[in-house]
Amino acid sequence: MSARHYSEDDLTLYYYGEGRRRDAIEQHLAACATCASLYRDIAGTLGMLAAPEAPERGEQYGLEVWQRIRHKLPERPEPWWASFFQRDRLTLAAAAAMLVLVAFIAGRVWPRQPVAPAGNPGLTAGGATTGGGNAAAGDTRQQRILLTSVAEHLDRTERVLTDIMNAPDTGDISNAQRWADDLLTTSRLYRQDAEDAGEQSVAAVLDALERSLLEIVNSPSKITAADLEQIRRRIDAAALLFKVRVMSDELRQRELAPQRSTPRNPTQKVS
Amino acid sequence: MDATEAAAVLARARQGDSEAFRELVERHSRSVFRLAYRMTGNEQDAEDVVQESFLRAYRQLGRFESRANFGTWLYRIVSNCSVDLMRAKQARHDQVHGDSLDDAVELPAGDGPGPERMAQSAEIERRVQAALGELSPLERAAFTLRHYEGRSIEEISAALNLGTSAAKHSVFRAVKKLRIALAPLRSQES
Repeated sequence: MSARHYSEDDLTLYYYGEGRRRDAIEQHLAACATCASLYRDIAGTLGMLAAPEAPERGEQYGLEVWQRIRHKLPERPEPWWASFFQRDRLTLAAAAAMLVLVAFIAGRVWPRQPVAPAGNPGLTAGGATTGGGNAAAGDTRQQRILLTSVAEHLDRTERVLTDIMNAPDTGDISNAQRWADDLLTTSRLYRQDAEDAGEQSVAAVLDALERSLLEIVNSPSKITAADLEQIRRRIDAAALLFKVRVMSDELRQRELAPQRSTPRNPTQKVS
Repeated sequence: MDATEAAAVLARARQGDSEAFRELVERHSRSVFRLAYRMTGNEQDAEDVVQESFLRAYRQLGRFESRANFGTWLYRIVSNCSVDLMRAKQARHDQVHGDSLDDAVELPAGDGPGPERMAQSAEIERRVQAALGELSPLERAAFTLRHYEGRSIEEISAALNLGTSAAKHSVFRAVKKLRIALAPLRSQES
């Protein structure tokens, strides 16, 4: 037995498999009762310290964290449009083209506003101003175009979700994923537009849709029955299909409703 | 998601794409929470650490070297956030309370349950938690990384921005304190 004893620190490192002279310590412990006793005590204490079981967090936890921090993220110095261009030029171009097309069709088929009656020259029948109120009328038109576009977007998204809900339990969902991926970018743009337009309920539905679309896009193409079931359960739990249908119907009703003045046109005069 | 996709997501996040950062948050949140919980020993504190860690990560993404491993980089941030939170909490606690470890882990006199039963009881867990709670934030972080996370002294030193010697001695001090605090339990065993 060596006359020199090892310190508590040496033996702690030895316990954790670190430190030099490991072979020497091992031989020493076999021969030295003092050090062997100290080592047993260290090992016994550390052996009592089992890893604490963290409370379980579900699959959706990442999304929950994201929802909590997303509004706290600091501004990036780049211009707002830079990330869109860097990320996916083609999808952005497609989305922009779609918006232009929808705006064009909406402009062609939209019923023209009747001319304001004499004695009330500043107002259209729907309450929007003419002349000096052209900006307000344009604003309302833009909002209607947004409603039309979003309603159509919701219809397309509903079809993707329905495909997922009815897909075979195991198999290839790559078609639905490609479709979902296309819709995802458009969905973000519409959500932003809806938020800007003060359409909070529309934005909320689009936000929930984004999460589901993202989950579909990020799933493996050859999905397992269990994974598919989880996606379905979450769509069900969020009543997403129901919300999409209701919102789509509501938007179409608003499209058909006569034009009204909106709170976004505070300068509008109604006599 | 394979390594190429992961690298692409990370590259987009570094360019300021918040949607890519969202993917990183979704992918790493659960492991971040587990580490934060082990570091803090408290669910609410762990949630605070999770949020603060991702916010810090977002702010510091520009400094992240793309060759490095994002998970490793993130666990360093989580470790430091945990230490900061525990320091702040300890400072508040010190101002308000004067509790000591001796009170917290004092064993009941007389005949208690046997060591085997004690080992499985909530009481032993409470004492262990009390003993861990008495470590300084740095000692607790270093000990958690070494004992629960299996990180080497070198890795601990990198994670906590300490020299190797300081990291080592943080672990040593933690082990010494724990041995003293838990000695009564050990003596019951022997």
